[in-house]
Amino acid sequence: MASVTLQHVEKDYGSLRILHGVDLEIADGEFVVLVGPSGCGKSTLLRMIAGLEEVSGGEIHIGERLVNDVAPKDRDIAMVFQSYALYPHMDVSKNMGFSLMLKKAEKTMIDGRVGSAAKRLGLDSLLGRLPRQLSGGQRQRVAMGRAIVRDPKVFLFDEPLSNLDAKLRVHMRAEIKALHQQLKTTSVYVTHDQIEAMTMADRIVVMHDGYVQQVGAPLDLYDRPANIFVAGFIGSPGMNFLPATVEKGGKVDAVLADGQRLRLPDGLPLKDDDKLTVGLRPEHIRLADDGALKAEVEVVEPLGLSTQFYIKLDNQQVCVFAMGRAGVKPGQTVRLSADPAALHIFDPVSGSRIG
Amino acid sequence: MTYAMSEIRSAGRPRKKRLSYATVEPWLYLSPAIVLLVAVLLVPLVIGISYSFRKFSAFKSEYVGLGQYQAMLSDQVLGQALVNTLWWTVASLFFQFFLGLGLALLLDKPFYGRKLVQAVVFLPWAVPSFLSGLTWAWLFNPIIGPLPHWLFALGLKAEPTNVLSDPATAMWGPIVANVWYGIPFFAITLLAALKSIPSEMHEAAAIDGATPWQRFSKLTLPFLAPTIAITVMLRTIWIATFADLIFVMTEGGPAGSTSTVPVYIYVSAFKSLDKGYASAIAVLLLVLLIAYAIALIAIRRSLVRHV
Repeated sequence: MASVTLQHVEKDYGSLRILHGVDLEIADGEFVVLVGPSGCGKSTLLRMIAGLEEVSGGEIHIGERLVNDVAPKDRDIAMVFQSYALYPHMDVSKNMGFSLMLKKAEKTMIDGRVGSAAKRLGLDSLLGRLPRQLSGGQRQRVAMGRAIVRDPKVFLFDEPLSNLDAKLRVHMRAEIKALHQQLKTTSVYVTHDQIEAMTMADRIVVMHDGYVQQVGAPLDLYDRPANIFVAGFIGSPGMNFLPATVEKGGKVDAVLADGQRLRLPDGLPLKDDDKLTVGLRPEHIRLADDGALKAEVEVVEPLGLSTQFYIKLDNQQVCVFAMGRAGVKPGQTVRLSADPAALHIFDPVSGSRIG
Repeated sequence: MTYAMSEIRSAGRPRKKRLSYATVEPWLYLSPAIVLLVAVLLVPLVIGISYSFRKFSAFKSEYVGLGQYQAMLSDQVLGQALVNTLWWTVASLFFQFFLGLGLALLLDKPFYGRKLVQAVVFLPWAVPSFLSGLTWAWLFNPIIGPLPHWLFALGLKAEPTNVLSDPATAMWGPIVANVWYGIPFFAITLLAALKSIPSEMHEAAAIDGATPWQRFSKLTLPFLAPTIAITVMLRTIWIATFADLIFVMTEGGPAGSTSTVPVYIYVSAFKSLDKGYASAIAVLLLVLLIAYAIALIAIRRSLVRHV
């Protein structure tokens, strides 16, 4: 096992810069998830750690060793691909034992390692099958088995669950996490799915346009997003954003375009007429008869356990999340309140967090 | 048709020993294709085979049973033609395949001007076989072509003579022309197969520790195997029955040294005017090629389990 250190890692394709100096410390045994929309550079970064892409600038260390110019096979890593990349003409045991066979390991040793990995993943009965005879979930497991058999210092996962159906994805998510808790191997996991990131990660790295937006534990990112991008990306249903202007009169208020007011927390560096973007998580807006906000309900989505409904506030659709049955109907006008402490205040120009 | 119509009327009370409409119906849909197949494939084949049991002379033909086949057994020229065919097919196929594979592997790698090279490589495929035969015959001709002089200068030939006029070397002329003509086929099909190998598989192998040669021998080749099997089979049959180049360049000569079975069939039918004998040889070639195809398909099944 080993730590992974990225120091100002850059990647260019010709004149196009994909990664703008990424700095990241991944501790030994940590499970780090790189998350972001497609094209943000997360897969490129992972492939650079694997040695499949050249490093244009900066340094990558695995453990103490600088690996910028080390071949993938000598980095002591294992990678699980989105397409699984199984060898179609080899059966499951050959697929899993391929790397050991190339190292000319003893046959009994290969069989032992493959056997124990197969047992761990519940593949014992499938060892003689070819990849095409397996279901998507089984293939995914073989790909993981191939990684486990190598007993690497670092596991790299490149969107390994994207090709599975929703139910299986939830199941495999838990299985990968359980596996990591047993093996405690340093893991870097790339996904575009923020739910996967939230549920699996020790720490999440949110990326956008080749920049790291924020690094932190899942709930830290949720509770204190550093900027509008992270705030909008993390959480489902997503955060609502309302443009507002500061007005001070005894207490600090954010005034929406339609004149409605939101009380802001005290002690923020704000002055009159400052422009703001106010972020409101759907679960922090409550139905309240004495609420300061008035809005019309547009759409109601009952989910049984909870209810999501959309209100028309300041000419925008705003999502509200309530546990249980909310008892609202489309067309109804409701009063709502929002806890000042739960508001996220952003600078609308730079997008970064004010408070 | 009338039969089927009456079946519709009597559909309510099924009877024994009569075809139900449901049995006949699919055949009705298939009938245009069946008619076409029978007309253009089966009828000529049956007529051709029936010719092989007859002897044709100027104004009449007579049934001779297996006479033509018995004549084949003692035909020295046919024996030579079979050996020539084997030699012509194996040599052409060998060089076409390996040069085509090499070219496909080269074209699979990115380099400057690849599109242009690709277009040029596939050009021979577009040249009519008669034209390429004539061109190659001229290239081998010491009076107008450079090849004999080059071979002489390289010390490969004692004198700058025409390879096509020496029975010992004549077969190499059409083989070279055929290799030139057939490389694009393998290059195109193998390149298409190479392009279908997911790059992630090679990356996985690189991480697993495979060297470039191991990646080629343990991943690329098995992946190409189904394509190789099918293209080699098709190509063998095409080369074995391909007479244009030989006929244009040597007409089977000198001294029958380039006479393959298709050339011999052509000569028997249109020079010796022995259509019955020509048909009998054609049937022999057909049987040999079918046996070859069956053998190759069986090998493919046992080797390639993953598709």
